[in-house]
Amino acid sequence: MHVLQTQDEQRVQSDAGAAALGRAIVITSGKGGVGKTTTTANLGTALARRGANVALIDADVGLRNLDIVLGLESRVKHHVLDVLEEQVSLEDALVRDKNSPTLYLLAAAQTREKDEVDTQKMIALVQTLRERFEYVLIDCPAGIERGFQNAVAGAQEAIVVCTPEVSAVRDVDRVVGLLGNRFTPQLVINRVRPQLVKKGKMLSVEDVNNILRLPLLGVIADEPDVIVSTNKGEPLALRTDSKTASAYHAIAARIAGDDVPAPTVEYKETFMDKLGAFFGGRR
Amino acid sequence: MSARKIVFTSGKGGVGKTTTTANVGAALAKHGKRVILVDADIGLRNLDLVLGLEKRIVFDLVEVVEGRCQVRQALIKDKRFESLSILPAAQTRDKDAVTEEQMAKVMDDLAAMSDYVLIDCPAGIEGGFRNAVAGAQEAIVVTTPEVSAIRDADRVIGKLTERSMPVRLIVNRIRPDMVRTGDMLSVDDVCEILSAELLGIVPDDEEIIDTTNRGEPVVLSETNRLRVIYDKIARRLEGELVPFTNLDTPGFLGRLIGALKAG
Repeated sequence: MHVLQTQDEQRVQSDAGAAALGRAIVITSGKGGVGKTTTTANLGTALARRGANVALIDADVGLRNLDIVLGLESRVKHHVLDVLEEQVSLEDALVRDKNSPTLYLLAAAQTREKDEVDTQKMIALVQTLRERFEYVLIDCPAGIERGFQNAVAGAQEAIVVCTPEVSAVRDVDRVVGLLGNRFTPQLVINRVRPQLVKKGKMLSVEDVNNILRLPLLGVIADEPDVIVSTNKGEPLALRTDSKTASAYHAIAARIAGDDVPAPTVEYKETFMDKLGAFFGGRR
Repeated sequence: MSARKIVFTSGKGGVGKTTTTANVGAALAKHGKRVILVDADIGLRNLDLVLGLEKRIVFDLVEVVEGRCQVRQALIKDKRFESLSILPAAQTRDKDAVTEEQMAKVMDDLAAMSDYVLIDCPAGIEGGFRNAVAGAQEAIVVTTPEVSAIRDADRVIGKLTERSMPVRLIVNRIRPDMVRTGDMLSVDDVCEILSAELLGIVPDDEEIIDTTNRGEPVVLSETNRLRVIYDKIARRLEGELVPFTNLDTPGFLGRLIGALKAG
């Protein structure tokens, strides 16, 4: 990916005097539908709950969704391309989150194409946001085309999201290769179902990371809550009664540098297991 | 007679395009149709994994386009079926390695030797999408009952309609229990928003992750209910009028609770 390589040099220059700048982290995966947007929204919410100023950029031009997941779709008036093309100021395009006052969204254009984004301007935009925010989280589109390259260009750190599926693991492996030596990607394993892992019907966290060999940032269990929260536009990280929320808060703490115990998902015996054991059969 | 060329697309990734392509293709092959599945996701191929054929890849789509092999040489025959083969994508190339015209030409060549050419489209609406759509005459849009997936499907249907391409819809990963409690959109809701003709309703099934990881399409399972569902989709594609499966039948636990209540 020659585009990434040429930008390497620029980054070295721009990082030289960048002591007080925020951290720009791209959330990517290769494969779609593994939970990039949900992860971005929840980590943004969790970091904001810790008091940090956070900006979220939806880099999925043409197929935006971060606004929906945050429940902000009716408040979006301007988008990334408006800012890049200097139609509006950054200030006017940032939408403040309704639940977390230190969290802001910069939405993607819905009716434009990814090819219309100027990579150099995108890098400059991320740089500007880093001057104002402690964290800039960039929600990358699926795939490894132009949209991926634009999303990655301005970031210095990467989080890769993977599910325990062979296809997702293969795609993440490819993306880690494309990210190259500029990044040390950290891994979030999403949608683990401990019951299925126990029955040997799903790859375990260890199985996934034996292949990928990446620093493990967090593990999120598969809960129907996630679909409900996406449809409602309320990230789970806002809740206090959810295990998934705690898992996101633990990841946020780890990103912030806190010493948090290694991520696990515990397996709780279900009624059906007990019933199965009672009838003496193995399900 | 030339084959029907159908693209499976969605906008959003991870809604089940590849799994659907593999299973609908396998179901058509079980009906005796000659089916060729094309993986158009250059750089992030997965159709080979879903069918467990990854170790048998010699040539790929890009090599066919570049004239480095005959299209027949690149096809991998799935030995579990009489008449199913796949044309794999290149893994270490970019999507701009092929043009829309080249794709259309290869799809025409494949159509000359089969009854169905099913094209597995990459996620998104970039170059890879345009290439995948270029060689098709019909589209099947796969979506899940989530607001984000529906919004993306809507955007894709708009793009397909611009090309005057007929579009039919498969609603994937429905959980009837969540629909009943109002926590999930119903199939009717989805169809109403997208106003597209419905081709199939596929319930969420935890076994699908396992069959995918093992490279065995679920239509080969004798016990899984999805076998019947994909078979019905194949028959509908063949023009048969097949009623939609009622997913509201309670499962074992539902029946148990019902029995306990009745007792």
